[in-house]
Amino acid sequence: HIPEDTSDLLQYVKFQSSNFENILTWDSRPDSSPDTIYSVQYKTYGEREWLAKEGCQRITRKSCNLTLETGNLTELYYARVTAIDPGGRSATKMTDRFSSLQHTIIKPPDVTCIPKVRSIQMIVHPIYTPIRAGNGHQLTLEDIFQDLFYRIELHINDTYQMHLGGKQREFEFIGLTPDTEFLGTIVIFVPTWSKESAPYMCRVKTLPDRTWT
Amino acid sequence: DGVAVLPAPQNISVQSTNMKHVLTWSPVMVPEEIVYYSVEYQGEYESLYMSHIWIPSNWCSPTTGLECDITDDITATVPYNLRVRATLGSQTSAWSTLKHPFNRNSTTLIPPGMEVTKDGFHLVIKLEDLGPQFEFFVAYWRREPGAKEHVKVVRPGGIPMHLETMEPGATYCVKARTFVKAIGRYSAFSQAECVKVQGESLPL
Amino acid sequence: GQEFQFGPCRVEGIVLQELWEAFWDMKDVVQAQDNITNVRLLRKEVLQNVSEAESCYLIHSLLKFYLNTIFKNYREKAVKFRILRSFSTLANNFVVIMSKLQPSQENEMFPISENARRRFLLFQREFKQLDREVALTKAFGEMDILLTWMETFYQ
Repeated sequence: HIPEDTSDLLQYVKFQSSNFENILTWDSRPDSSPDTIYSVQYKTYGEREWLAKEGCQRITRKSCNLTLETGNLTELYYARVTAIDPGGRSATKMTDRFSSLQHTIIKPPDVTCIPKVRSIQMIVHPIYTPIRAGNGHQLTLEDIFQDLFYRIELHINDTYQMHLGGKQREFEFIGLTPDTEFLGTIVIFVPTWSKESAPYMCRVKTLPDRTWT
Repeated sequence: DGVAVLPAPQNISVQSTNMKHVLTWSPVMVPEEIVYYSVEYQGEYESLYMSHIWIPSNWCSPTTGLECDITDDITATVPYNLRVRATLGSQTSAWSTLKHPFNRNSTTLIPPGMEVTKDGFHLVIKLEDLGPQFEFFVAYWRREPGAKEHVKVVRPGGIPMHLETMEPGATYCVKARTFVKAIGRYSAFSQAECVKVQGESLPL
Repeated sequence: GQEFQFGPCRVEGIVLQELWEAFWDMKDVVQAQDNITNVRLLRKEVLQNVSEAESCYLIHSLLKFYLNTIFKNYREKAVKFRILRSFSTLANNFVVIMSKLQPSQENEMFPISENARRRFLLFQREFKQLDREVALTKAFGEMDILLTWMETFYQ
């Protein structure tokens, strides 16, 4: 009995994670039927049962949000998708072992850039994740990564930069020329996990100096 | 293995500066022929637990050159054994092994190259880019009696960076050294470089 | 620079990112060989809520087992899967850590070392219950669990 080739039904079953929002995604070959239905299961590595994900049973879309189900940072997970096409052909594929700590990508920070006459202040806002502590308190990225820090750069007429950095969330570049435009970039670093966010960028102009007018 | 009629490479040594490690050897001379060389390494684990195991170097197995950048092969601060052999067609030399194992903590750390400039009242420094293993400790001070020395950690190098906003008319000096976390060692400080700022110096 | 602080045992000169990058280079290949998803060797009972004082004993036992048993017997597979470089990076850095761990042998520390030993035996018993090759593959693939736990002592 030669097993039927159903590889067209399911491809690239994997987790996509950013700031601990864990989305299972998959694809199928263009020649597969649009009426194919998909069902998702997940399991904790080391445990016996596969659990059906409510809301992702017999769906036609190709993604499923498993954030809550994969929210324990000390656990590792698997997910698998079963596809069934109108002709009754089916295929099941499993993800690699998934650890949100290792796999999650850090999104750019949310920052407010405040220009003054001879300085620019930058306030980084806390980044809440879907992860909750035992007491239900929602954790920020800083709570999860003990060596997280911010790196702030102010680009000065494209020739050099001012750097500030640290774990605090308020920074101020001083000694600037009034009425001048600057480009600020703010990046989140988590060295131990070799994580670096894409930069948040703000273009700001210091205020004119009206003291002598 | 081919019959070992080819002489083995001689004068094997490692030059290591600023965590860049290069293995060199003398050529095996065979007129009008191209001789290839292969480099292999074993770390302390291999030599302790599986001494017959050698790992081909990332860049030089084989090579026609007389040196091999083994930086990417040395990935722990332990003694590494290194060996080289020559190959010509089906002929293969015996292995020549480095006399003393190499440990990256013996690398020579030289002070970093730096450019100190000013832009208006801004003191700007650009440090040599030495790669991700390096941090820079930059010391700077205003040249006057009893001046206090400030220190900033800069990482990475290669980007011009503002150090300080200077007082008009003053002179500021800067020196820098490197720190390598993997071996826990500093370089010596570079020569100090000073710049003077235009304008009247403010009364103290 | 950063260092490990396993209770009284201090270990410098290890760049944890280098170990992670070595593991990530081989993770998918290694873990794909382990299709027993309902068994985890480094379970929560082994690694969770380990006191600082216990940590030096436990890491010493675990690394010793990894070097003497797991790495030693996984080598052919490392050659086969072309991951010898990552294998060597991890093994040699574990040798560095082991060489700097000096768990105290004093009598008053016996209850603590005994706790650590019980945790290690949990892991070893689970290892021995599996087929030898399966256990080696699973343990080698669980190094990310070990590195994640070690990271909590990296300051």
